[in-house]
Amino acid sequence: MPVGPFGLDPLIWGPLRLVIAVALALFLVLNGALLQIYLERKIQAIIQDRLGPYHVGPFGLLQTFADAIKLIAKEDVRARATDPWFFLAAPALVFCPMLASWVVLPFAQDIVGADLNIGLLYLTTLGSMTVLGIVIAGWASNNKYALVGGLRSAGQLISYEIPQILALVSVALVVGSLSMVDITRSQPGPLVNVLVLPLSFVIYFIAALAETNRTPFDLPEAESELVAGWLTEYSGMRWGTMLALSEYGNVTVVSSIVTTLWFGGWQGPGVDAVPILGVLWFTLKVYGVIVVMMWIRATLPRLRIDQLMTFCWLGLIPLALLNILVVAVLALAFPDTKIPIAIASWVLLLAFIAGIPFVQRRRLASLRARASASAVRAAS
Amino acid sequence: MRFDFVEPVVFALLAFGVIGAGAAVVLLNRVTASALLMALSFLCMAGMFVLLGAETIAAFQVLIYVGAITVLIIFGVQFTKQGGDRSYALFFQKQYPLAAALVAAVAIPVVLFAFSFNAPTPQPGGGDIRPLATSVFTDFAFAFEVASVLLLAAMVGAIVLTQRDEPPDGMRRRR
Amino acid sequence: MTVPLSFYVAVSAGLFFIGCAGVLTRRNAVVILMCVELMLNAANLALVAFSRRFGAVDERGSVFVIFVFVIAAAEVAVGLAIVLSAYRNRPVIDVDEIHQMKG
Repeated sequence: MPVGPFGLDPLIWGPLRLVIAVALALFLVLNGALLQIYLERKIQAIIQDRLGPYHVGPFGLLQTFADAIKLIAKEDVRARATDPWFFLAAPALVFCPMLASWVVLPFAQDIVGADLNIGLLYLTTLGSMTVLGIVIAGWASNNKYALVGGLRSAGQLISYEIPQILALVSVALVVGSLSMVDITRSQPGPLVNVLVLPLSFVIYFIAALAETNRTPFDLPEAESELVAGWLTEYSGMRWGTMLALSEYGNVTVVSSIVTTLWFGGWQGPGVDAVPILGVLWFTLKVYGVIVVMMWIRATLPRLRIDQLMTFCWLGLIPLALLNILVVAVLALAFPDTKIPIAIASWVLLLAFIAGIPFVQRRRLASLRARASASAVRAAS
Repeated sequence: MRFDFVEPVVFALLAFGVIGAGAAVVLLNRVTASALLMALSFLCMAGMFVLLGAETIAAFQVLIYVGAITVLIIFGVQFTKQGGDRSYALFFQKQYPLAAALVAAVAIPVVLFAFSFNAPTPQPGGGDIRPLATSVFTDFAFAFEVASVLLLAAMVGAIVLTQRDEPPDGMRRRR
Repeated sequence: MTVPLSFYVAVSAGLFFIGCAGVLTRRNAVVILMCVELMLNAANLALVAFSRRFGAVDERGSVFVIFVFVIAAAEVAVGLAIVLSAYRNRPVIDVDEIHQMKG
């Protein structure tokens, strides 16, 4: 009879492992959300020259705990005109895919829930399921702000999924595997993927900001335009599950993907000697990416919905396709070395950044010309 | 063969989900509920694919059916006014027993016939992405290209069909 | 004990007939589209089941599932576009009422 780890019967170990994994993921999600909300508020405060939360606990550290307790204790309000089943199902539909994607995140050498050989595909799949929950939430709320917010969000998420997946493809092309562990293993030295594929990193990062509803792409819940978008009718812990847990959980998942694919995951100095150090490196890198996201939130204004869509369909998607073409051709032409890919990718990235002002100037000029032409027509 | 009973139990649950949700799509009167249950049916189907050892297909199934097609259909539901007293086709309104008998007469023999298949050797599960990709990009490369052209044509067609004919700027302002 | 192939094929056949009945009996155009998707999905299950149980190593049956996915996506996009543009001409979603194209 086969014996599993710790001398347990595999029949017991299987379900037990599942329970442990789910409990651990829940624990990490809950604490990650608390920590990230605190971080977010503090970083915003520092950037805006404020103090941020400081009343509860030392440096305001317990503020988010207090907020969480308040949310849990809040009355469970549901408007009478909402659709009961869908209204209750929507937070679960948003939360469960996020939780499930923690399974494949490689925290360290052997600390990974399941090393699926289609790990990347699995993550994109779960990311695409979130849209369903958001649309259902907007629909079930029976409220025009929620409906418009839900539809906007669905349009945005579906659009930005395309450059996101296309950016992942170029990494898969270079590494030759979809498994998160293999991708981490493929970048042991200082030559991490961000140096080889900077363009796909930039594309993925921009698209990921949109996927997680972060500023400058937080239109679905634009407070000043749509009240709170699809979250308008939600309150208490249901709101907490949707916004706080799911959004920050998604931010963590996306940052983990960025870390694993482009920054070498748990690889770092001293990992070979002490494998558990990988957790530290992984966490540090993930939180580095999260802090950059928060920094962007404090820096950039929100886009308009048509600008958002134009940027995705006319900017990011063609660029991502071009990137795939270049990477695929070079990977086929030079199977042994990554240097040509790196050079081409950097050139493309610099051309993209340098080209933005020109394109923007021409677009503004044509818009102005059209506006003045229609003004002339209206006056005549 | 470590888990002797898990696979049949999981299969039974998934089969119940697929068939039950599918039947509910047809029988329920509320279109939004139908759409959501269709998503459930697709999810259970993805579970069946995993059970068969085709994880890649399962991932594509969820990505395309749940992430794209269901959302698209919910969009369609939200953009059109739903409701109306009769939800079934005129032809079948009074002929339920007859329709049921007809469908059953075809369906039951086919389902019973389906039970007669048996497989010689179950394929080992897992790792189906490499053979799948090899097949798509070598033997079926032409079909793949045709499929991509089809998708492009469908995309353009959908955009053209749903586009509103915008009046020219001057006209709109005068109104 | 693995589940025999026949069970998968039976589920596939059952789902196909459910979708078929839906296409025949429902009058809402969007629901008819959903039922067509169910039928396509039933075909997918049969293809994957036969491919995994009978096929050689090269997964030829599963490849067709990918093409079915493409067809399904294209079909639902164009179908919904047609439904929406018909709806814009006359706000009904009922296939029995959409008869402008009849001479």
